[in-house]
Order: sequence, then structure tokens, then C-alpha cells
Amino acid sequence: MAALGGRWVGALFKGKGTGVTVFMSGTRAASGISKDMLPGPYPKTPEERAAAAKKYNMRVEDYEPYPDEGRGYGDYPMLPAKSQHERDPWYSWDHPDLRKNWGEPMHWDFDMFIRNRVDTSPSPVPWNTMCKHLFGFVGVMLLMFWLGETFPAYQPVAPKQYPYNNLHLERGGDPNKQPEEEKHYEI
Amino acid sequence: MGAHLVRSYVTNPDTEPDPLKPAGFAPDLGFAERKERVMVATQEQMNAAQLPVEQRDYCAHHLLKLMKCKRDNWPNFLACKHERHDWDYCEHQDYVMRMKEFERERRLLMRKKRTEEAQVA
Repeated sequence: MAALGGRWVGALFKGKGTGVTVFMSGTRAASGISKDMLPGPYPKTPEERAAAAKKYNMRVEDYEPYPDEGRGYGDYPMLPAKSQHERDPWYSWDHPDLRKNWGEPMHWDFDMFIRNRVDTSPSPVPWNTMCKHLFGFVGVMLLMFWLGETFPAYQPVAPKQYPYNNLHLERGGDPNKQPEEEKHYEI
Repeated sequence: MGAHLVRSYVTNPDTEPDPLKPAGFAPDLGFAERKERVMVATQEQMNAAQLPVEQRDYCAHHLLKLMKCKRDNWPNFLACKHERHDWDYCEHQDYVMRMKEFERERRLLMRKKRTEEAQVA
């Protein structure tokens, strides 16, 4: 490597090549990507759009970049924001855990949409139905509890009778104060 | 079972007694003479046995006998059937008296309502 002289020094300062190819002149790593494969500026002409679609392995009809609002997306395609949970689990994907094929255009937020993270799967029942069911049930339960508080169920018995003036001393009453005399009778 | 609930909330809310309030009528109304309830266990005895407040009722002397029997016969937990029955029977009679007091209160309320309606008419 160093036997090739200090040519890598020149390459480093001239900015030729990317990654470890800078240090190994004459070699090319798989991570050494060429400039034409990287994302570029927003496509303005139809030819630029066609070239960008080809770059991203998409059909020209499907290719739609993000709107050019100065947010830095460039010509990256705007794909539907659906997570990998919604993809067919039984299809034989090239990368089964990512549910993605080789060369497929990836969503801008692909790292968020993996199966360990954000799930955009539709709810099994429409949202409004779920809300109605939940709040209806909770409302009915609260109503029943309120009815039970307002009209409690009790046994048809008089309150229990306790001796010694209703246990005046045992319930912490003042020993010096005379409690009201209460007599209990048999019936 | 539960007829009293329909009576108290729907049909006769004015003549059903409130189970939480004590009796509203004089205890000797309708009786020629009434026997007083006798408390057998003393306060010192109940304190010594450390009875909870809810169990210091008119059947406490049976409960104290039962506790002593159990303590003397441990580990034979089947030994105190007679004492337990005595306590249970006393508590049962106390509950029946509570039911009868409730019914007495109810009939006195109905009688009061009848006399008031007779006076108005």
C-alpha cells in the first residue's frame, strides 16, 4: 500500500475518491459509490425527472419527488408513508426481516418504519366505531356506578345495637363527658 | 328478596325505614312492657381480650368463652363446636331482632301515614 509511494496523500488532498479508496489507490471498495448514484438536486426538466427515476429504480410514472420547498429533499422520491408491518409477511422478500427487495427505492423514513418501530397498520375496526364502543361502554359503566351510589341495595335490617351507650368509651369518647343514655330492648 | 328495595325506591318511598338511621319511634310504643337487653361481658373483660370494636356487642360473652376454649384446646381446631354454636346462635338471634326492629319501624310508619290520611279525609 505504502509501496505505491505517497500517491494516497495526493488523492487525499485532491479529494479523489471516497471512503477507504482514498488510502488504497487502484482499489475500489463496495462502499465506494460513484457520484451519479447519489441523490441530487430537485429535477426541473422532464429529462432530469426521467434520469432521477432511473437512478432510483422507479418507473417515470411512479416517480414523484418531494415538493421543492427548500427542505433539503432534493430529487429523493416521495413514497407512501406506510411502515413495513403493512407488507405481505408471506412473500419471499430478499431481506425478510426488512420486508424489502434488493434495489427497491427506500422511504425517506425507512429506519423509522422497520418492524421494531413505528407501525402504520390500519386499525381492525374503523376509528369512529372504536371510539363509540369504548366511550359508550365507559359511559354505561359510570352510569351504573352512579345509580348504585344513589340507590344502594341494603338488607332490610335495623342498625346493629351496641352496649355501653353505643361503646362510647371504646370509640374514643371523652371519659369525663356523660354520653346520652341509650337503652336497648329485646323484640 | 329485594321487594323492600322496590318498595323503598319506587312504590312506597315514604313508609320504608332508612336502614342507616336509628328508630324514629319510642321503644315502648305498642308494647305493654319490654324486656331490656342484658350485657353480660364487662368492659374490662373485653379490653383484656382485646376484642375489636365491631365484636363488642351483646353476644361478646359467648365469643370470650369461644376464644378461651380455642386457646386451651390448640392444636385441636375441631374442639370448640359447642361454644362456636352458642356464639353463632346468639348472633343469629341478634340479626333476627334487627329484622324485627326494621319491620316494626316500617309498620309504625305505615300506621302513621294511615292516621294522617284519615285525619285529612
